[in-house]
Amino acid sequence: MATKKIGDVILDVKNISLSFGGVKALTDISFNVKEHEIRAIIGPNGAGKSSMLNCINGVYTPQQGAITFRGKTFSHMDSHQVAVMGIGRTFQNLALFKGMSVIDNLMTGRNLKIKSGLLMQALRLGPAQREEEFHREKVEHIIDFLEIQAFRKTPVGQLPYGLQKRVDLGRALAMEPQVLLLDEPMAGMNVEEKQDMCRFVLDVNEEFGTTIVLIEHDMGVVMDISDRVVVLDYGKKIGDGTPDEVRNNEEVISAYLGTSH
Amino acid sequence: MAFFLETLFGGLMAGMLYSLVALGFVLIYKASGVFNFAQGAMVLFAALAMARFSEWVPLYLGISNAVAANLIAFVGAAVVMFIVAWTIENLVLRHLVNQEGTTLLMATLGIAYFMEGLGQSLFGSSIYKIDIGMPKDPMMILDRVFDGGIMINQEDLYAAIIAATLVALLSVFFQKTATGRALRAVADDHQAAQSIGIPLNHIWVIVWCVAGVVALVAGMIWGSKLGVQFSLATIALRALPVVILGGLTSVPGAIVGGLIIGVGEKLSEVFLGPYVGGGIEIWFAYVLALGFLLIRPQGLFGEKIIDRV
Repeated sequence: MATKKIGDVILDVKNISLSFGGVKALTDISFNVKEHEIRAIIGPNGAGKSSMLNCINGVYTPQQGAITFRGKTFSHMDSHQVAVMGIGRTFQNLALFKGMSVIDNLMTGRNLKIKSGLLMQALRLGPAQREEEFHREKVEHIIDFLEIQAFRKTPVGQLPYGLQKRVDLGRALAMEPQVLLLDEPMAGMNVEEKQDMCRFVLDVNEEFGTTIVLIEHDMGVVMDISDRVVVLDYGKKIGDGTPDEVRNNEEVISAYLGTSH
Repeated sequence: MAFFLETLFGGLMAGMLYSLVALGFVLIYKASGVFNFAQGAMVLFAALAMARFSEWVPLYLGISNAVAANLIAFVGAAVVMFIVAWTIENLVLRHLVNQEGTTLLMATLGIAYFMEGLGQSLFGSSIYKIDIGMPKDPMMILDRVFDGGIMINQEDLYAAIIAATLVALLSVFFQKTATGRALRAVADDHQAAQSIGIPLNHIWVIVWCVAGVVALVAGMIWGSKLGVQFSLATIALRALPVVILGGLTSVPGAIVGGLIIGVGEKLSEVFLGPYVGGGIEIWFAYVLALGFLLIRPQGLFGEKIIDRV
C-alpha cells in the first residue's frame, strides 16, 4: 500500500452541522478525502457516521456547512445529482432490487451511462443493441471481479446475506464512481465473509483507483485497510489521522477504543 | 361444439379488454410500487377527453374526415393524459418519495375522486359516444366445419387485436429496454434507485404517462362499446380480479389473467348459470380471485415475495 499514489483532495467537507429537531446529529464536522485513498469514518453507535455519509450522498441536507467535490462546492444536493457527479454508495441495510436478477441489478447501475433513446432501445436498433452489449460486458467484468458468476441469473432476494452485500457493492461499482461511499460493508458478516469483503475493497481501490470512504464498526478491519481515519463521537469529530495516530490519540482511546490499548 | 367455441371466443375477446385495464394497474405498480386507485378515473377522464375532442375537432377545426378527426382527437387526449401525469408527479408523488406504500395508495384514492370530478366539469357529464369506425356487424367463421358457423363480434375482435398489440409493445418495453429496467428498479427501492442515478421524477412521469395512454386506449374501446359515461370509472373494479389472478407485477400476468376471467365468466354463465338461476357473470371473477388469494397470493406470474425473517 505504500506504493499507492494518493492524489489531491477530491472531497472536502467543511463545518457540517446537522440536527433533527433538537437532536444534534453532527456538529461542525470538517475533514477531507484525497484521491485514491481509503478513508474510514469510525465511532461508537449513534456517533453520526451514517448521517455524515447521508449528507455527502444528498439524502440529508445539513443546516450548516458545505461540501466541495472536485472543486465544486454545494450545500444542497439531491441523490440523483450526486450520482451524476460520480459518487456511488452502498447501504447499511441492504437496498437491492430484490425481485431482479444479479445481472439486472448491476445493469441498473449502468443506467446513467446509457445514452440511446427509448425508441431505439425498444426497437433494438443497431446502436442501442451495441450499447447494451457494451454495458453488459462491463457488468460481466464486475461479476467476475466479485466472484458471483454462479448467481448471475438468480433473483437477488434469494441470495445469502454476504452475497447480497457483494451485489450491492457491484451495483455501485457498475456506475464507475470516482468516490465510493460504503456504509458498514462488513456489518453482520462472519470472519470469512469479512476477509472476502476486505479483499474486494482493497482490490477496487487498487485496480480501479476508486477513492473509498467507508464506515465500519470492526476496528481491526478499519486499522488494516484505511489510509486515514476520522473518529466521531456524539456528532463531534474527536480524531483524524493515520490509523497509528488515531490509535494513540487519548480522546479516541477513552471514547471508543476503551483502555485495553 | 360450435356453441362452446363461440362462447370461448367471446370470452377471450372480452378478457383481452379486461387485460387492457388491468395493464394500467400493473404498469404503475411495477414502476412505483403503488396500487393506483385512480386507474378507473383515468380511463373515464381519457375517454371523456377523446369523446369531446372528436366532437369538437369537426366543429371548430372544420375537419370533416372521420379518420383524421379521430386521430387528432386521440393525439389531443394523449396530450391531456401527459399533462395529467406530469401534474400528478409534480403536485403529489414528488412530495411522497420514500414514503410507505399505504400513504401513496391513499394519495391515489384522492387523485381518483379529484379526476372524476374534474373530468366531468371540464368535459361535461352526459353520455357521449366515441365512434372510431369499428365494424359493428357480427361475422361468421368456420362455417364449413360447423353447421351455420361460429358468430364473432367484429367490434370485439378488433378491440382484442388493438389490446394485444399494445400489450406486446409494453412487454418488450419493460423486459428489454434499459428504461424498463430502471422502472423495475424504482419499483423495488426508491432510495437505492436514486443512489445509482436513476431520476425518480422523470421515471414517474414516464410511467404515469404510459398508464395514461393505456387508460386512453381502454377508455376508447370500452367507450365505443358502451358509450362514455360515469360508469366507465367502475370498469377498473372489473379488472381488480384480473390483477389478483395474474399478479400485480407481471405484464403477461395481466393478459393471461384477463383471458382466464373473460373466458371463465362467459363459460360459467352459459354452462353453469342455468343450474343456479343465472347471474354468475357478475360475481364469478371475484370468487375466482378470492380462491387465488388463498392459494397463490402473489398471483400466477407475480414475483414471489421473499422476506428475510
